[in-house]
Amino acid sequence: MKTEVIVAGHGGQGVLELANWLAYFHLVNGRHVAYTPSYGPETRGGKVKCYVVASDEPIDSPIVEAPDLLIAMNIPSLDYLPLLKSGGTLLVNSSLVQEVPGRSDVIVVEVPAIDLAAALAPYSPVPGKDTSIAANSVMLGAVLAIAHDDWAREQALIEGVFRHFLTDRKAAYIPLNVQAVKSGFEFTSRLEASSVASPAPPLAATAR
Amino acid sequence: MIGAQELYETKLGPLPTLTGKPTHYCAGCEHGTLTRLIASALEDLGARERTVLVSSVGCSVLAHEYLNVDAVQAPHGRAPAVMAGIKRVRPDLLVFSIQGDGDAASIGLLELLYAANRGEPITIFLVNNAIYGMTGGQMAPTTPEGMVTTTTPFGRDLHQTGPPLDASKLVASLEGPAYVKRVFLPVTPTPSPEFFNARGALEGARAVRHAFEVQQKGGFAFVEFVSTCSVNWKLSVLESKRYAAKVLAPLFPAGLYRDRFGVEAR
Amino acid sequence: MNADRDFLKGNEALAYGALRTGLNAYYGYPITPSSEIPETLAAEFGRGTYPEFRAFVQAASELEAINMTIGTAATGAKAMTATSGPGFSLKQEGISYAAAMELPLLIVDVNRSGPGLGNLGPEQSDYFQATKGGGHGGYRNIVLAPDSVPEMALFPSLGFELAFRYRMPVILLADAFLGQLKEDLTFPEVPAREFDTSWAVTGARGDHRHVLSSLHLELPDQSRHVEHLRSKYEEIVGAEQRSEEIATADAEVVIVAYGICARLARAAVRSLRDRSVRVGLLRPITLAPFPQDRLNALIDGGVRNLLVVELNSGQMVEDVRLVAEGRARVESLERVGGLLPSSGEVEAAAEDLTSSGDLRSALEAMVQ
Repeated sequence: MKTEVIVAGHGGQGVLELANWLAYFHLVNGRHVAYTPSYGPETRGGKVKCYVVASDEPIDSPIVEAPDLLIAMNIPSLDYLPLLKSGGTLLVNSSLVQEVPGRSDVIVVEVPAIDLAAALAPYSPVPGKDTSIAANSVMLGAVLAIAHDDWAREQALIEGVFRHFLTDRKAAYIPLNVQAVKSGFEFTSRLEASSVASPAPPLAATAR
Repeated sequence: MIGAQELYETKLGPLPTLTGKPTHYCAGCEHGTLTRLIASALEDLGARERTVLVSSVGCSVLAHEYLNVDAVQAPHGRAPAVMAGIKRVRPDLLVFSIQGDGDAASIGLLELLYAANRGEPITIFLVNNAIYGMTGGQMAPTTPEGMVTTTTPFGRDLHQTGPPLDASKLVASLEGPAYVKRVFLPVTPTPSPEFFNARGALEGARAVRHAFEVQQKGGFAFVEFVSTCSVNWKLSVLESKRYAAKVLAPLFPAGLYRDRFGVEAR
Repeated sequence: MNADRDFLKGNEALAYGALRTGLNAYYGYPITPSSEIPETLAAEFGRGTYPEFRAFVQAASELEAINMTIGTAATGAKAMTATSGPGFSLKQEGISYAAAMELPLLIVDVNRSGPGLGNLGPEQSDYFQATKGGGHGGYRNIVLAPDSVPEMALFPSLGFELAFRYRMPVILLADAFLGQLKEDLTFPEVPAREFDTSWAVTGARGDHRHVLSSLHLELPDQSRHVEHLRSKYEEIVGAEQRSEEIATADAEVVIVAYGICARLARAAVRSLRDRSVRVGLLRPITLAPFPQDRLNALIDGGVRNLLVVELNSGQMVEDVRLVAEGRARVESLERVGGLLPSSGEVEAAAEDLTSSGDLRSALEAMVQ
């Protein structure tokens, strides 16, 4: 089983980190993973885009041409929407993207990632510091929820992911990020529970 | 007068650190003198079997033919980098090079200055004869104003070429080196046509010894030997000694520019 | 699958692969997209994790870096330098001397777009420079081409083994994509290897001295030396060709691709085979020596269509044509400027070379 993801946004949104975390989450789940950061002319103008491929088999090409999941952290990220596989999922940061262009053959999940992250001020390691920076972790939680993961089961794995990446001084941010993942997970799970009519998202099969 | 070639070959007897192979150095050239001084110093230090010579490009390109030690050939100007690469992994070895003015002060100036600035524990002997000898007498970075060379056929014009470059002062301007010295190596004429003053060779012998000692103490050592090139200067050997004393000695004054470990004080 | 896997960029994996094979010294000048190599090594040098790693210097120039590498290699120690295109050009002087003095050293080129400054995107345009000598005078290097992060980690070990076995520079030719790509990997256990270093400068032993020189003033001496280098490379051509093949047994069309292009080609072959299109892949692992024996065998076995996919304006395709000698049709799909073809484009180009592709083209021509 193979999952292909494009994560896009602009510099400063933690797009590369989100893609790294997502890839590493798959790795600790026993999959082969490939992560490709932005390269070449696309890196100009602060646009950031990366590919994540996770597969039970060795990965042929790390390049994502038709993703199962597009994580759009800002409006320009929707440029990649035409690439999304039919039946795929568009996960949008609705704090910045209010209007999603129509594509009837994909599932759209809107998560106000910046707003949810900003509400986590009590978890900030620096009192009073804005926590909206954790929006990328909120989106990671949303991805887990879309895949119908079980938060209680994944929490330890997610903590392991953050311990791998957030070392030394950054370690103080682990509790905030775990909380942000949980927040995104719970928000998205509620969304899915409320949209009773929608069919099971395909990522339940592909991402997990 | 003992010629450099004779000094190297026979007059003072053979040395185990010399191969005994006749050199290609021209009559009156100080390269032969320096080769002998280096061999003597290595024997005094008992260092022959832990020494690596890095041959440069220029008249010293065949130094490994005459010095009976291990040797590596460096590309033109890169000897200080090659030496650093040896010394970084084999600090137990005594590593040195004989570079010319073109090698060290022109094409290899970056390698010289950065090795010096990092204080690499290596020893560099620069033979400054103010001309490109090996390639047939072209202008060197140290060629004095007005000197006729094959690439300055009307004399070196400083407006076009900039002034002669002072390698010792450049090296001494850096914090890294532990020992920087300039020696006037040629014999100098005296009032009597029968006698010549060979003080330069004696000072040179001490400087060579000190430069190796400084390396053994972990410091970067650089000795510039102001020398002659009668063949490419188009002068007789005797005239070249006079010219060196008159023109090069004031342009490149002998002196001790750095002695961090105080090796000269003892 | 091993649970204890790492997740590293290609450049980082290469650095650790070198350390795990006993790297003694690294000298380099920073250049994108290879800088993670010195950055990773600097950190490990500072930590002192690898006791054999005795020297790390950020050199003042590419020239200084390659010549420091030469100095360390001359002592018989394992020395490496890494760079990208513009720096690879500067290193050619030293590589020529190292080849002439028969010094074992590892040079990494993370190929970016060129000529000139170009850009930071992936290209394979240093293929000629790496495989045909590159510097002045006549010599060849062994050139290894990884196509994954695990191979970036593995090839320093292979590189040093070949470098010491044949006493010559080995070039590890990666591309900007592989340098930046992160994948899961498990570091292989590399057995400690002892190489013959009796030629190295360590100080003379009595009458026995070690002289490493590229200067042979007597004409017959230089002639003999160059002949020696040439016969050594011929031995390498006979013994060290390495390649990987996928689905070539019954292939009508064989794609020839290395590095990141081989990854695209893998995807294309899988997709075409799913549709029963008989396409295979020959992936050169040694670009020099070029895997001519396997390519020959495929052509002898009936393959009549070859598709070269590479990120340059046609370089490896020349070697493929040299081997094919007109016995097979050789087409190429090229991208430059840091761009990559899509796997769909690779698929289409390969399918066009099949008999059904030919038939379709003919029908389209008739319709028009």
